[in-house]
Amino acid sequence: MPETGDCGADAAAYVLGALEPMEAERFRLHMESCAICRAEVDSLEQIVGELPSSAHQHRAPKTLRRRVMAEVQADARADRRARPGRHRIQGMVLAPVVSLTVAVLAVVGIEITSTAGTAVYAASVGDAQVRVTNGHAELVVHKLPLPRGSRIYEVWLQHRHGAPQPTTALFSVTASGDGSVDVPGNLHGVREVLVTQERAGGAKHPTSQPVIVAPID
Amino acid sequence: MERVHDRDAQAFEVLFDRHCDAAYSLAYRMCGRAAMAEDIAQEAFVSLWRSGARYDPVRGSVRTWVLSTVRNRAIDAFRRDTAKQGRDVTDDGLAERAQAPERTDTEVERREQARQVRGALGTLPADQRQVIELAYFGGFSHSEIAQLLSLPAGTVKGRMRLGLGRLKVAMSESAGLIT
Repeated sequence: MPETGDCGADAAAYVLGALEPMEAERFRLHMESCAICRAEVDSLEQIVGELPSSAHQHRAPKTLRRRVMAEVQADARADRRARPGRHRIQGMVLAPVVSLTVAVLAVVGIEITSTAGTAVYAASVGDAQVRVTNGHAELVVHKLPLPRGSRIYEVWLQHRHGAPQPTTALFSVTASGDGSVDVPGNLHGVREVLVTQERAGGAKHPTSQPVIVAPID
Repeated sequence: MERVHDRDAQAFEVLFDRHCDAAYSLAYRMCGRAAMAEDIAQEAFVSLWRSGARYDPVRGSVRTWVLSTVRNRAIDAFRRDTAKQGRDVTDDGLAERAQAPERTDTEVERREQARQVRGALGTLPADQRQVIELAYFGGFSHSEIAQLLSLPAGTVKGRMRLGLGRLKVAMSESAGLIT
């Protein structure tokens, strides 16, 4: 942390997840060279890890189990269908991202599997997949950096014509860069799912280049 | 966990059964609404399953891993819901409290642990407890808390530090939770 910073206070805020993303990143860098802070964080993480126990414990509703396991079983079935040799390339399109100066892309839309289960589309830009089950889509991302400052990732739908349409899907990622979010809205006519970094609360028009481009056409 | 990593649905079911109550309870504590808590817990478990279950034992227990995912998903949900309604509720007086689980040995141990953690939190001065709960259960950053409470950011961080320090001592003194 900065020479004038208060390591101890930052360590406490860090383990509580209360530093702003940029501060958290700086603190992580600082810890690489500060054994005291590393030890402090290790110690406080044990404390913070116990905080969920302070919540009154409820029995999870049975519907939660049904909902989760239905998705897990559907994915497992899709996995079995998607074994090597059964993948197929659905299509290839050229898709400049409208109104964005992205020098992306010859885009290959790869549908790993479809039929009655889940259709999985790999991103052509970024490490991500769009999973579509019964018209319901979920975006799963990996290795995305934490958004800068108070910014957040926003999901956009790119139709055949026109500018990308904003969605209400705003998300962040874990320290390891993983995250997932439901993609709302009707995917009919959508060619790509895009992700950009935007200010907190989202934007009506993309203000940065997409970090994820997932063709689903 | 290796079977979960290999996307074995049966193994994941075991993981779900072991941690679903704690996951749902944390989500409920954070959002205060049963339906939203269920959605958050569902998103968290499905995300764990679909992310390839990248569990790193060096970074903590499976329970910690599951609950940190639940917390992240709850914070994502809060960010989607800019109105943030229901974020500042407390446990007290929440309706729809589910029937307590059966008292297996594990449950008894877990309840005792919960009692100790609540007791330790109860020893904190209210201002320190408040910033810790707003940060952890509310998902607020220190600058958001500073704005909410009309305090300098440094004061908020200082209270977090003092509060966690006291918590550490209190929990160390009670039943050897910290080794």
